[in-house]
Amino acid sequence: MIYAQLFLSFMKIGFTSFGGMSMIPLILEEMTSHGWMTPEDLSNLVAIAEMTPGPLGINCATFTGTQTAGFAGSVVAVLGVLMPAFTLTMVIAIFFEKFKDSSVMRRIMFVVKPICIAMILSVIVTLSSTTYFVEGAVQSFSIGIAALMLYLLIKRKWSVPMVITSSAMLGVIFYGVLPMVRG
Amino acid sequence: MDRIKKGLSIFAFFFKIGCFTFGGGWAILAQMEQEFVDKRQIITKSELLEMVAVGKSAPGIMITNISLLFGYHVAGVFGGLCAVFGIITPAVIILSIVTLFYNSFKDNYWVHAGLTGLRAAVVPIIGSAALSLGKDALRTPPAIAICLVAFCLSLLAGVSNIVLVLAGVVGALAWWAGTRIKKERVQEA
Repeated sequence: MIYAQLFLSFMKIGFTSFGGMSMIPLILEEMTSHGWMTPEDLSNLVAIAEMTPGPLGINCATFTGTQTAGFAGSVVAVLGVLMPAFTLTMVIAIFFEKFKDSSVMRRIMFVVKPICIAMILSVIVTLSSTTYFVEGAVQSFSIGIAALMLYLLIKRKWSVPMVITSSAMLGVIFYGVLPMVRG
Repeated sequence: MDRIKKGLSIFAFFFKIGCFTFGGGWAILAQMEQEFVDKRQIITKSELLEMVAVGKSAPGIMITNISLLFGYHVAGVFGGLCAVFGIITPAVIILSIVTLFYNSFKDNYWVHAGLTGLRAAVVPIIGSAALSLGKDALRTPPAIAICLVAFCLSLLAGVSNIVLVLAGVVGALAWWAGTRIKKERVQEA
């Protein structure tokens, strides 16, 4: 059952991640193991999700759900990714005063956050190999765009939507116009 | 009746901020602060900060966790659900439409070229997110060691992410229990 699979996958993603970019490694793993998405699709998705309003996790669940099983699929995936909120956070809300300053939670975060960063770093390696080295060929234009964007993001404090828009325009020039001019 | 009315107005507000919020959770928080702390004075700033701290440390999406805590605080379970569905509905609608266009346009020559350029920017974007997360989470040598070990396990040994996170949670619980027992012993002695 595709719906049950989607729900379970996104529930797993929800429970083992802490929002934002920390979801990407888990989504990549789940999507490629089920054959629902390629790393290329995922990169496109990250860019699209960053360009549209709303939390990244919800955007990813909607996109994947729609791609694999239409609108019903997106509803199921979104409900799956929301399961931690509906269960754990609901319990926390009820006992809020006790959880406010919990030493257990602090310990868990101390250990899990570095693990999340490690997961993100390993996704960077995976995505780099599919984005910048396609079928053994070095994509020098893509590497150039990446270096420029990294500089603009970190040193020039450009916003993510600005970076995405300008790299898409560079893509149109380098991968659209240039091959045409060269014939 | 009062709860239902409150719930619906929570839904409406969260729907509105869900429509116009780019840049993730922190931008949404700024709007919540303006609306609920400054304008309507439903909660105090320190209450909101407590919700943020708890919502951030619970698993799942930070902003839906915070929305749920806030909605529950104002109007119980129904309020919590209204807040969560309010904030996600615009995202679901917009992304459904975008996905339809993605499928029909991604093979177009020009769109394909644009997407190729755009994909080149994804690694730097994720990288800069990792960098700012790292500044916060990798302040101590043990944290850096955990990160390095997890990185090697993930990339070289192919250990799955879920296993890594669960191992981390179990390890943290053992560590917490260990220091508690130690403390009790010190107190007894």
